[in-house]
Amino acid sequence: MQNITYGEALGQAYREEMLRDENVYLVGEDVGRWGSLYRASRGLLEEFGPDRVKDAPLSEAAIAGCAVGSAAMGMRPIAEIMYIDFISIAMDQIVNHAAKWHQLSNGKVKMPIVFRTQGGGGRRNSSQHSQSLENWFVNIPGLIVVMPSSPYDIKGLLKSSVRNDNPVVFIEHKSLYFAKEDVPTEEYLIPLGKAHVKREGEDVSIIATSWMVGFALEAAKQLSNEGVSCEVIDPRTIWPLDKETIVNSVNKTKRCIVVTEAPAEGGWSGEVASVVSEQCFDMLEKPVKRNTGLRTGIPYGPVLELQVIPSVEKIVKDVREIIS
Amino acid sequence: MDKKELLGLYQKMLYLRLFDDMCRNLKMQDIVWSGYHPSTGQEAVAAGVISQLRKEDCLLGNHRSHGHAVAKGSSSRAILTEMMGRQTGVSGGLGGAMQFIHAENNVFCGSIVGSGIPIAAGMGLALKQKGTDHVAMSIFGDGACNTGAFHEGLNLAAIWKLPVVYILENNQFAEAMPVGEFVACSPLSKRARAYDLEEITVDGNDVEAVHEAARKAIEKARSGGGPSLIEAYTYRTRGHYVGDPENTYRTKEEVKEWKKKCPILQCKNKLLELGAAEDELEDIKKDIKTGLKEDQEWALEQPFATFEQATDHVWIPLQ
Repeated sequence: MQNITYGEALGQAYREEMLRDENVYLVGEDVGRWGSLYRASRGLLEEFGPDRVKDAPLSEAAIAGCAVGSAAMGMRPIAEIMYIDFISIAMDQIVNHAAKWHQLSNGKVKMPIVFRTQGGGGRRNSSQHSQSLENWFVNIPGLIVVMPSSPYDIKGLLKSSVRNDNPVVFIEHKSLYFAKEDVPTEEYLIPLGKAHVKREGEDVSIIATSWMVGFALEAAKQLSNEGVSCEVIDPRTIWPLDKETIVNSVNKTKRCIVVTEAPAEGGWSGEVASVVSEQCFDMLEKPVKRNTGLRTGIPYGPVLELQVIPSVEKIVKDVREIIS
Repeated sequence: MDKKELLGLYQKMLYLRLFDDMCRNLKMQDIVWSGYHPSTGQEAVAAGVISQLRKEDCLLGNHRSHGHAVAKGSSSRAILTEMMGRQTGVSGGLGGAMQFIHAENNVFCGSIVGSGIPIAAGMGLALKQKGTDHVAMSIFGDGACNTGAFHEGLNLAAIWKLPVVYILENNQFAEAMPVGEFVACSPLSKRARAYDLEEITVDGNDVEAVHEAARKAIEKARSGGGPSLIEAYTYRTRGHYVGDPENTYRTKEEVKEWKKKCPILQCKNKLLELGAAEDELEDIKKDIKTGLKEDQEWALEQPFATFEQATDHVWIPLQ
């Protein structure tokens, strides 16, 4: 075991996959000299050279287009979009090309691309550097959407994403890069499309993503002191959704709360609530609750931004309500 | 160019004209379903440029690329039946006239204007990285020059010296908007200077000139010299799509003047000067027509794409 950060785990995943397959390469803004904003690819430029670690101009459409073109010709690009807020510039390439070419080519062209980016709040960056935009990608047939919540997960999931032949939108969280955890020193993979039951419980199922997983676990810990037993599930891959794990859990606990940093309206949290309502209706004691980011731009500074997203206190309050 | 070579290009251009006529006719009968964008008058670019590509070279087309694909060597049957929504189409009949992929022939067409420009850079990167001397070519119109993808893609190809040839097929209209209204500079190729590329504009209705400019650019890309941008100045003598209100953006007189500069007509006159016989040229036309007639009859018999296809290959399911 090694005690490493989320960022370090990511860097190890990069390196292992680049050593394993010479078609894997990085392209993005400052992935080389800086080793990316949170230093995940530090040292890789020196080790693999500029053909494998490509510092790109501030051109998200070109970065994503470069990924599409090179993937069609047999490369396995990891294209980094520094902040998910910048991905709007790359959307055409992701939505109209990466997600469509496999079908438009009768299954002959593969798009083994990882669009790596990071989202969410917690670093006081205001509304154009703090959004949670994962819902956009869940809405596009052809894309896989991954949101790792821990150092262990980010490493295993990134490696699986690189080896997958579908385009993967891999959304990290900017407030997690310095989170530490014990991670095996030997190689491991985490399958895409499989949720992780982070904590077993009997009274309520909390389905949380990314940074919110830690919030949910903290809430569960506090509630256990009151004798309330929470099951916390991290889907890890938000699309395709591991419905089985969620449905089994809710059938057991009979109550469900979905926690996301993204706003509720038109989003993935509503999709999970629908799946639970459709498949667990007879078992539910209470309607599904959603605890999500508010429908607003993320405000500036350390105080207000935390007031518009879920918190441990709000999750505790929701659990108390749903079990009453 | 000697008579034999020019005759080859004449045959290709005429083929594309007659193929386009046939497809347009099928569009008017609602057998080709989607928006159909005729290429009448622009054949010198497809024939002169694209027919020089190898199968392994990549071609990024656009919404008006049925002729481009055929010039690259895709069969007229596979392109025609694609536009007719049949299973034998290059995309199995799921793409239609505006977006299709012929993977075996490395033809990738899409209907988002400008998008192929950065994708070509990515393909060029892969072709270079793998040590081949194949090239990527992106062909787009004057309208695409105002997209962000144009600037981002050209810049990327230029800074990384990628083996890409950019063909700007300036047909003078972005749908209904005349090019002079939406680009401040003229010729459009001036923009190449911003990427430290040579400013090249050729008469897009002169197949020999287009061929020569493309030959040089392809050779440069193959030998590691980096990308080029060629503006082929031509004219779309039919509407943006079949049935568009042309009178809103140009006069009949203007179209008539440009029809006099028809690339096929010009080439024919040159061939006659070089000693070709009228009969010889007429025979070429007859042969093409016979072949296309057979293609159409065959195409009409082909099965339509199915519901199963419509939901297949959306993604590769997880193991």
